[in-house]
Amino acid sequence: MSRTDKTPNAVSGGVPDMATELNGDRRAFIKKVLKGAIGGSLLLVIPLEAGVGEKQENDFDKIPEQIPGIRGQEYDMSSRQFAFVVDITRCIGCGSCCVADKREYNVPDGNYRTWVERYVKDFDDNVYVDSPKGGVEGYQEPRPELKGKIRDTFFVPKLCNMCKKPSCVQVCPVGATFKSPDGFILVDSKRCVGCGYCIQACPYSARFLHPVTRTAEKCTWCYHRVRKGLLPVCVHVCPTKARKFGDMNDKKSEVYKILRSHDVITVLKKDMGNAPSLYYKGVRREVV
Amino acid sequence: MESSYNSHVKRIIGGIVIAAVLGFLAKVVMTPESFGVYGHYRADAIIEEADREIRHWTNASCSSCHAHEANRHSKGNHKTISCEFCHGTYADHIADGKKVKTLPVMTGDEIKTLCLRCHNKAIEARPEDVIKTVAMPDHLKKQNVKETHTCNQCHYVHAPLEYINQAIKITGIKETI
Repeated sequence: MSRTDKTPNAVSGGVPDMATELNGDRRAFIKKVLKGAIGGSLLLVIPLEAGVGEKQENDFDKIPEQIPGIRGQEYDMSSRQFAFVVDITRCIGCGSCCVADKREYNVPDGNYRTWVERYVKDFDDNVYVDSPKGGVEGYQEPRPELKGKIRDTFFVPKLCNMCKKPSCVQVCPVGATFKSPDGFILVDSKRCVGCGYCIQACPYSARFLHPVTRTAEKCTWCYHRVRKGLLPVCVHVCPTKARKFGDMNDKKSEVYKILRSHDVITVLKKDMGNAPSLYYKGVRREVV
Repeated sequence: MESSYNSHVKRIIGGIVIAAVLGFLAKVVMTPESFGVYGHYRADAIIEEADREIRHWTNASCSSCHAHEANRHSKGNHKTISCEFCHGTYADHIADGKKVKTLPVMTGDEIKTLCLRCHNKAIEARPEDVIKTVAMPDHLKKQNVKETHTCNQCHYVHAPLEYINQAIKITGIKETI
């Protein structure tokens, strides 16, 4: 306070004149500037610790819940029965699902957790199937080598069938692939020795050997997202809602309603006896 | 010391006991923790899989900053498309609540390729009741524009019919596809 006493206040009305203020107390002014400069640079150097670590944990709560009844309660694995429905009549073969899947898991080129096949049937009942790069770059061109008239053509997205009787789990010699109590077939990459039995055993060719880790990998129906109340990423990004996912024990879920409807619902390779939880709506008999 | 008549039996039994103890110890040491809680696998693997990083967020996450684009996007015909499909994942863009990288914005011919992923009429497998398709370059010819035109010169990519509808309103020209 002594500083202000020393400063001659020339201007009436209580507003100090700048020139006299500076002249009268240069030392105090320099002190203030230095304090500000040091304080400011310290703020830049020392990161604000408060709340940063906790924030990361709760960030996902900001994403609107997509599967009801998972957040904010104890996750009881035994009370869940998830099902996946692919609606063939709505798939436009854009490959959004493949792109999203590749990005979510950094899937290496040439391997696919999910892919989209294109079926073409001609009037002689020949069936042609192709899937250039698994559909990850979309379908830009029709098949030029097919000259005949096309009778029926459609896209079939493929992914892990999450069998209720999985043959991949049965053959694993080290207990690395397993069926969790909530019905997901997962791979424990720390246990997997990369023998490849499961890849041969899967009737749906859903598995591959990761070229870097040399362990088996496959679609997990985005287990990490489901446990946080979010839809699998392919379901989330599908622009035409051709992919649907939900809990069969939740009678309000879309999947439950579809599977209870009169639509033609089928599973792939039923006679293999794997009892998949992946259902196809509007699929033709030719699809394998 | 003279061996007794049953020493070989003792040796065999002793050997079996030692082997059993060693085997048991090996099992205890080598079986991973939490193995066999639910079945013949490591129960912790479930938790590890559940803790994987989420890379795709939602359009709501994007709209918290990009409100203008999100607002127009949510009103247009492209509202079902995820922002992250065209622009890349949220996790590549934001880390710890801060921007870490600029996501790509498609331009020029990239736009055309991107649009035709869904809207190319040449791909007959697309169900017509689900997606509106156009044949290229017929569509450009019909609209009396150059064949070098990219889609976004007429269509605002986030809401493809916004400008078209405004133009129809102002000029009164009937729409032709």
